[in-house]
Amino acid sequence: MLKIKNLKADIENKSILNNFNLEIKPGEVHAIMGPNGSGKSTLSNILSGKKGYDISGEILFENKNIFELETEERAHKGIFLAFQYPLEIPGVNTNIFLKTSLNAIRKARGEKELDAIEFLKLVKLKAKELKFDEEKLNRQLNVGFSGGEKKKNEILQMSILNPKLSILDETDSGLDIDALKTVADGVNSLRKKDNSFLIITHYQRLLDYIKPDYVHVLINGKIIKSGGPELALELEKKGYENFN
Amino acid sequence: MEKQLKIDFQKLLETSNFSKKNVEIKRKNFENFIEKGFPNRREENWKFSDLNQIISKNIKNLSFYNDLSKPNKIDQSIFIDGLEHNKLVFVNGRIEKIEFDYEEKNKMEILDDLVLEKSNNSNNSLLFLNNAFVSKYFKLIVKKNYSLKKPLAIYNITNKDLVSKSINLKIDILLEENSSLKLIDFSNDKSITNFININYNFDLQKNSILKNYKIDNNSNSNVKYSFSNINQDSNSVSEIFLLSSGSEFIKNEINCNLNGEYASAFVNGVYILGETKHHEIKTNINHLVEKTKSYQLIKGVLEDTSKAVYQGKIFVDSKAQKTDGYQLSKAILLNDNTEFDAKPELEIYADDVKCSHGSASGSLNEDSIFYLMSRGLNYQEAKKLLINGFLLDVVEKITDSEIKNLIKNIMSLKQ
Repeated sequence: MLKIKNLKADIENKSILNNFNLEIKPGEVHAIMGPNGSGKSTLSNILSGKKGYDISGEILFENKNIFELETEERAHKGIFLAFQYPLEIPGVNTNIFLKTSLNAIRKARGEKELDAIEFLKLVKLKAKELKFDEEKLNRQLNVGFSGGEKKKNEILQMSILNPKLSILDETDSGLDIDALKTVADGVNSLRKKDNSFLIITHYQRLLDYIKPDYVHVLINGKIIKSGGPELALELEKKGYENFN
Repeated sequence: MEKQLKIDFQKLLETSNFSKKNVEIKRKNFENFIEKGFPNRREENWKFSDLNQIISKNIKNLSFYNDLSKPNKIDQSIFIDGLEHNKLVFVNGRIEKIEFDYEEKNKMEILDDLVLEKSNNSNNSLLFLNNAFVSKYFKLIVKKNYSLKKPLAIYNITNKDLVSKSINLKIDILLEENSSLKLIDFSNDKSITNFININYNFDLQKNSILKNYKIDNNSNSNVKYSFSNINQDSNSVSEIFLLSSGSEFIKNEINCNLNGEYASAFVNGVYILGETKHHEIKTNINHLVEKTKSYQLIKGVLEDTSKAVYQGKIFVDSKAQKTDGYQLSKAILLNDNTEFDAKPELEIYADDVKCSHGSASGSLNEDSIFYLMSRGLNYQEAKKLLINGFLLDVVEKITDSEIKNLIKNIMSLKQ
């Protein structure tokens, strides 16, 4: 599904990612673990098409290079990024935003747009699954939401948009244990044989709840080791500094 | 211009039947205007909007005499659709229609041919101009305990017959005790390069409520000045909303005197400007007795080389303890050639008051745009959603839901 070859990313002449390679097949869950400043968020930004980086190499999504695609075109193709810091958007109603977003994607895919009733049915169902307070859906997007609510809202968006590749950028940070479980349940319920996940995290904690197929260690912009779930435990024991 | 002014003033006197006293008052106003001329940036009040320059840049051969003897046709298509309302229609400065079909006639008094009885004692040269050249003025009195059942829309229409003229309108509105009025000012201009000068005087007696929505939405090349003077007795409420968008230049000046306890004034507004448009909102909120309240929220979105100015003043008299005054202005500048000038002013002579002000401007947040685009919206859609969200905040302050919806429709803010 996703193939990254020799990705190099600089920002203002500072190298962030270097010779980065990764392949994710349909149905797989990959975790990338790394310390602060290792390039984790840059990776998720670049996959979503954020501007401002000098990049070279190749990113193939379903065997097509997506380098030239705009952020929204990547979303239309099924790439979703759950933000580390979801933004507050004043004056924009959450429900209306979700509907706009879903219909933009459906339209781009040539699918029928949902009307208000169909949409509300869907959103109610998903909110219930995620134990997301429905009343919040009538509020301004993320405005006045707690850290946990913002993260849950990301997962809610993910489950409504039903992407092929979901990138979770430190979704576990700032979550208490109950919220962590809810978020993990949400992710697990979306695991299907043709949906893939890239989970970016500092800690092993989230991986107790979402079992990855592969774990990669990212240090200084490069994957230095890859392995199975046991790698996360090893990392937790040794710490990043002693890991080489 | 002075020569033209004199010729036109003479013409006005010759073609009207003013009493001796009227002529005297008018002549005094005329002389005052001749002496002061159009305001320029040397006056503090006009330092961000040099009207003298704006007029000479935009209007060639401005003339001041306006022949009101012949009726004008009303283009019905510009009437607000989907809202039952009373109508007062001016076309090219002439009253063409007075229609209060929804109201009890004995609860109101409508006077449409008043002439000036007393001189204004301000120092505002544009009021001098207005009072010198206005021929007849309009007054509405809403009697005690009466609330108009439907809003009143005052249409100020100009058509293509009007070129390079100065139009002066004067409208007085008296709300007696316990009465209320919702007033929509709606302009529609097909004319080019005129100077339109409107002078409102509102008197709000005890417990009365005025809601005034000033909508300047249709793009036009006219230069406008609208001055609203509001006097408020105890417990009265004024709520003003300004949509400032269509005219080449408009300055909305609001002078509000809170003369009675528990009187409150709300001034909210949005600028949506593009091209070379230049708009100003200037407020003076005067807290003159104890326990009065004022609130002002102004937001703008500026594109191309447009310019917005907000001068907001809160004055608190030494007697006016327990004053509650608030103002905030914010602007989004969509490119480097736009300009937002904010001058918040607090002048406070009492010690037990709560007053605050703030102002901020900046560009659209690119991270927010990235967030929305990552959810499938393209750049233009994301930008529009953010801008609408930014402005919606002000529109939501409108307390009348029917008119709020109307204004959302006009601004295409319907979600």
